[in-house]
Amino acid sequence: MNTTSATTPDTDLLRTMRKGDADAFAALYRRHQGPLYRFALLRCGSSDTAADVVQEAFMGLLTERFRFDPLRGPLQSFLFGVARNLILKLEEGRRRHVALPAFDADQDGDDDPEPDQPLIETGPLARLLDNEAAEQVRKALAHLAPHYRDVVILYEMHELSYAEIADICQVDIGTVRSRLSRGRAALAKRLAGWHPTPTLAHA
Amino acid sequence: MDNRDTIDPLFDALRGEMARLDAPRGVEKELLQAFARQFPQKQPWHRRLALRRWALAGSLSTAVTALTVFSLLLHNPRLDADPDGASRPLLSRDGNGGLFIALETQERIEQEPAPRVVETEVSRSSLARLGVPLTPENAGDTVKAEMLLGADGQPLAVRLTSID
Repeated sequence: MNTTSATTPDTDLLRTMRKGDADAFAALYRRHQGPLYRFALLRCGSSDTAADVVQEAFMGLLTERFRFDPLRGPLQSFLFGVARNLILKLEEGRRRHVALPAFDADQDGDDDPEPDQPLIETGPLARLLDNEAAEQVRKALAHLAPHYRDVVILYEMHELSYAEIADICQVDIGTVRSRLSRGRAALAKRLAGWHPTPTLAHA
Repeated sequence: MDNRDTIDPLFDALRGEMARLDAPRGVEKELLQAFARQFPQKQPWHRRLALRRWALAGSLSTAVTALTVFSLLLHNPRLDADPDGASRPLLSRDGNGGLFIALETQERIEQEPAPRVVETEVSRSSLARLGVPLTPENAGDTVKAEMLLGADGQPLAVRLTSID
């Protein structure tokens, strides 16, 4: 019996993985690495950091440093939550060492969703995407405050429900709703003046 | 103004662009190596034995085989006594107090066309493997013996004449 087919539930793969089946672990990784990497990439703006986050999340799953409880939700939400916490920890460490522009957002407050300067890395990945429209949205997302960015990315890019996002971000559903609304408004405001150039416009 | 009209097409573009992005291949490789370290493959028992263990197992096996063969030789039916005297016992006392040791079957000895007897002396220690008692005190002694030889010089039996 093939225990690593595309239809095998995550919980079955996890059980097989914990018995030492490398194929099950590889199947789990291949199933979830893409969304996780894309979330981390949009969230932190660095492909290297995103790769590190994916690796650490799966390493934690492997070593059971991060314990997944199937009763609390699907594995994908759990991994998003782990990735988000890892990124927050990285940002916290960075904030201790780098003097950043005034940004003292209360995670649950009604602060400005679009601070003056993004917290994400720029530089080698100042341009990440070939498509100009996509790149503009990515940059606009990068200007959102992190807790707004989390909600917008998870909702718009990964099509998660409010409840799933609330679980991942450890806030209530009302907060998810308000952050999404304010985040989208800020994005719309920033992107309102942008128009694709004819040669680069996405068809 | 409805935000959706402004940003939904742009998110479509972003989703399309991001869909082709995956974690670098090196991540999977690192993770699978970590997995292999965490769950080392259980090898079959014969592969788990190191060369030294194989050598030890071989030595033990050889020793056991040698003991088995020796034991079978000592209890060889051809050499053991049987009730009707069809073959001679390995060790038997003759009427003169000597010790007779048949080295071949009775048939082989009887069929020998030209047997001959040769007087000699043999060390007691060399007789130990034939079942002759050996003690530290007499281990260095020699015993007078009469060897029954076939025409080809092959020993058929030995009679120890001066053994206690």
